[in-house]
Amino acid sequence: MRVKGIVFLLIVAVLVFLISWISVDSMIEEEIEYQASIANGALVEIDGLDIDIIDLKVRWDKLQVTNPENTMSNTFETGEMELDFLFWPTWWERVIVEDVVLKGLKMDTERETDGYFEIPEGEEDPDAEAGFVAEVIGDVTSEISQNAKMQFTDIKTDLNVDSLMAELDLRAPEKIDSLKNGIEQNYQKWDSTFANTGIDKEIASIEKAINAIDVKSMKDPKKAIAAIKDVQKMAKQVDSLKANAEGIKKGFQEDLSSAKFSTGNIDKWIEEDYRQAMDMAKLPTIDAGNIAQSIFGKNLVADYAGYMEYVAIARKYGSQRTNGEDEEKIERYEGKDYKFSDKYDWPKLWIQNINLSGETKTAIKIAGQITNISSDQKKTKEPIKFNIGGKDDGNREMKLTGEFNYLGEEPTEAINFSYNGFSLAGTKISPSELLPYPLNEGAGEVSASVSIVDKRFDSEIDYSMKGLSFNFGENLPQGQVQQLIRDAVSDASQIDVSALIDNVNGPLDVKIRSNLDDLFVNALKGTVSKEVDQARQKIESEVQNRIGNRKEELLVFKKEKEAEIRKKSEQLENRVNDVAKKAESKKKELEKKKKELEDALKNKLKDKIGF
Amino acid sequence: MLLILKYIAKLLKALASEASPNQLAGGFILGMIIGMTPVMSIHNLVILVLVIILKVNIGMVILAFLVFSGIAYLADPLFHSFGGWLLEMESMQTIWTNMYNNEFWATTKFYNTVVLGSLITAVILCLPGFPLTRVGVIQYRKHIHERVMKTKLVKALKGSKLYSIYQTVNKVRGK
Repeated sequence: MRVKGIVFLLIVAVLVFLISWISVDSMIEEEIEYQASIANGALVEIDGLDIDIIDLKVRWDKLQVTNPENTMSNTFETGEMELDFLFWPTWWERVIVEDVVLKGLKMDTERETDGYFEIPEGEEDPDAEAGFVAEVIGDVTSEISQNAKMQFTDIKTDLNVDSLMAELDLRAPEKIDSLKNGIEQNYQKWDSTFANTGIDKEIASIEKAINAIDVKSMKDPKKAIAAIKDVQKMAKQVDSLKANAEGIKKGFQEDLSSAKFSTGNIDKWIEEDYRQAMDMAKLPTIDAGNIAQSIFGKNLVADYAGYMEYVAIARKYGSQRTNGEDEEKIERYEGKDYKFSDKYDWPKLWIQNINLSGETKTAIKIAGQITNISSDQKKTKEPIKFNIGGKDDGNREMKLTGEFNYLGEEPTEAINFSYNGFSLAGTKISPSELLPYPLNEGAGEVSASVSIVDKRFDSEIDYSMKGLSFNFGENLPQGQVQQLIRDAVSDASQIDVSALIDNVNGPLDVKIRSNLDDLFVNALKGTVSKEVDQARQKIESEVQNRIGNRKEELLVFKKEKEAEIRKKSEQLENRVNDVAKKAESKKKELEKKKKELEDALKNKLKDKIGF
Repeated sequence: MLLILKYIAKLLKALASEASPNQLAGGFILGMIIGMTPVMSIHNLVILVLVIILKVNIGMVILAFLVFSGIAYLADPLFHSFGGWLLEMESMQTIWTNMYNNEFWATTKFYNTVVLGSLITAVILCLPGFPLTRVGVIQYRKHIHERVMKTKLVKALKGSKLYSIYQTVNKVRGK
């Protein structure tokens, strides 16, 4: 045995222990802060980190997670925290935390210093799944603002129909005139066709030739036969003329019925002009949805975005999970690891249980549990679940529960939130300028549920405001809409608002309803909608005035000309038919005459022969 | 560099007569194990502790480590196949599984084909390696040492500045 060697090993062991004792905490603290800051997109600070390798515990005094959207505030901060981690997984570079006790959790706190953190190049997170959530929030915001706010606030400005009409470029008169010109030219063409057809002359000449055949004076059957042949020839000529006349009639009828000369579009053109005028006037369609969205839409979108933020965070880490963190790359000469059981099939990070306590920004003491936060749920076989709640002496109660489940093929998230008994005194129930009055008293209840399966979401937010008393002050309402809303809310002691946001059936569907809707609608129907209707009628009549009698004139003109041409066509047809009949009749007359002459001749011959 | 030179000089001295053949053969097989198996393995920590606490020749450990590292680099595909064969042996499955489910054994990474293949190969080679080295040292001393000392390489080594520095250091330290 080498004594010096044993002494050397002991010295090395003591040195390693001392070095790690002195510097390991600060080194790990720096590394955690760095990695967490990258993941958060803003500074994450830990104060007083203490790692106890013998007891397998980590503690810290304070944790601050900066809000990336506002680096002068924290998304949350914690007080003392203590966690127990397992030793063996660390050997495989896995962090399995059995229990976390987190005290002094505070949401949305102010920072003393700026928490901006510049993410080093190459460390950016693509964050594809969180993008979906941002898209949903954007779509909902856009839907609500487009459908309600814009249109409804525009109604307050006085509508000047005259100035609107001056700017309006009506297209229908021009189109009607152009159609009339086209029809006129077309009739001229048919006038000219009937005038120059030549059928008349030919008919007249045939008629003359038929009339010239004097059947009664015929004595010779041969002449009768020759006349029959002439008549047959003329009949054929008449048939050809008839086909000609029918061709002209057909062409004319087809021309009249063609879309090019159809007057059926006139109403459509007028409708288009009317619609254009209405669009420029931005007259609202007053229904309950518009009113509720106008007044409560902005608040609801803000709340909805808040709930979706949780989903965004979960999806962010969920999407990292789906990349297959443990896919082992076998380098040459590094060999292959055999797995004889799934004992070491741990995720990179698994926090099995967090017991937290703290308070909300509104000073409600909260406590709760979050279980199974992991970087790969397929390995833990457990979804993330949370159940946090709290109550205060003033009967305010808050509860947040949910589950983020990435075990199946489609990620599913469910969040349920309720907050009851909070005072509304001194607050405004809406940021809308349509309802600018603070409340003297009132209490609120909020409940929300968001359920997402892959990219299909179904959510409902319900607000209930009870015991309301508005402080209308001495300022008079600005405009009739505000007056109406004031009248409506002054009679209501409770306002309930529900928002249903989903895309379960395909496109995004946002419905916001309130019990004030009916009150508003009734009042609006009596006054504002009367004004809107008047403006609408005025626009309609202005559009009609500008179009004038063009439509009627054109229809009369068309009717007259059409009748005229039809008459000409019928006359021509009748004339051809008459001559055809004459030819047929003459032919029959001639055939009869021929038979008579032939019979007479036969009788004569019999007499001569002596039969 | 000075440290390596020190151990080469020590090795030459030890080969001459200073160390026992057992110490040299012990150093040889321990160096061989470290050289043949992946360096960053738990079992090599144990070997290193043995090197430090046992009176084996460290120069021989270094020499064997260098030589067998090169051999291992070429033989890794064979170790991989051998390790794979061992890990797939039907009769061994219960043992492997029990060892795998024991955290201590699992830290040795025996479930890796190259680690297991190279370690078992190295252990097997130790059996003839130790007596053969021992015999080799004795034969070296009898027949080869004189001739090695007269080679140009050794003379050049002894004539180098580094060697004279090493000698001076040794004199100052009273060795």
